[in-house]
Amino acid sequence: MSNLLQGSLQGYVLVALLLFAIGFFIVLSRRSVLVQFMGVELMLNAANVALLAFARARGGDVQGTVFYLFIIAVAACEAAVGLALVVGLFRHRTTTDTDRADALKL
Amino acid sequence: MFLTFALITLLGALSLAFQKNLVVAGLCMVLTFFGVAGLFLLLANPVAAALQVIVYSGAIVVLVLFVIMLLSAHEEEEALKAHAIQRWGSAAAALALAGGAVKVVLSSSFLRTPPSPGIPPPMDLGALGNALFKNHLAAFEIVGLLLLATMVGAVVLVKRDL
Repeated sequence: MSNLLQGSLQGYVLVALLLFAIGFFIVLSRRSVLVQFMGVELMLNAANVALLAFARARGGDVQGTVFYLFIIAVAACEAAVGLALVVGLFRHRTTTDTDRADALKL
Repeated sequence: MFLTFALITLLGALSLAFQKNLVVAGLCMVLTFFGVAGLFLLLANPVAAALQVIVYSGAIVVLVLFVIMLLSAHEEEEALKAHAIQRWGSAAAALALAGGAVKVVLSSSFLRTPPSPGIPPPMDLGALGNALFKNHLAAFEIVGLLLLATMVGAVVLVKRDL
C-alpha cells in the first residue's frame, strides 16, 4: 500500500483510470458541449499518463514518448476542429446546450 | 510528491465535473493538466512534461477559454427538462467503471512487479529526436499535413459564408 502511494506503476495506472472515469462521467452527465469537450480532453490525458507510465516501467523506452508526441499533435487537431464545430453550432442554433441541438433527432 | 500531483490531478478533474461556471471549469482543467505534467516529471520524462504544459495548459486551454468568452457562454443554460435518470445513470456507470478498474489494478500481479528492475535513465531530447527522425520520419510529415488540413477545416467550419 505504501508502495502504491509513493508512485509505483500501480499508482500511476490507478490515477490514469480514475482520471478516465471522471472524464467519462463529465461527458455523460454535463449538458454544455464545451464541458463535454473538456471531459474528452481529460480522458485523452488519462491515456497519456498510462502510456508514459508503462514506457517508464519498461526501461524508459523512447518509443513511448514518440507515441505521446503524435498523440498530442492529433489532440491539438481534434481541439481545433471540435471548437470550430461548437462555434458553428452556436452560429446556427445560438446555443451550446446538447439538449437544444436536436435537429437530427427523430 | 506522487501523492501531491495525483491529488492535484484528480481534485482538479472532480471540481471540473461539478463546476457550473464555464470559465472556472476551464481553469480547473488547467489545474488538472499541470498535475498531469507533474506526474510526467516524476516519471523522469521532462520532455513530455514540457510538451504537456505548452500544448495542453497553453494552447488548448487558451483555445477553449477563447471560445467560452467568444460565445459568452459563461454559465450553463437552463435545462429544457430535468434528466434525473441520465445524471444518476452516468454517475453509476462512472462509479462502476472506476470501481472495476481499481479492483483489477489492485489485484494484478503484473502491475505489482514491474518487468525491469533498476532505475532507467531520464528521457532526453536527443534520443527522442533521433528516434523521431530516424524511424518515424514519414509519420512526422503526415502529422504536419494533418495539422494543415485541420487548420483549413477549422477555418471552413467557422466561416459564415464561404
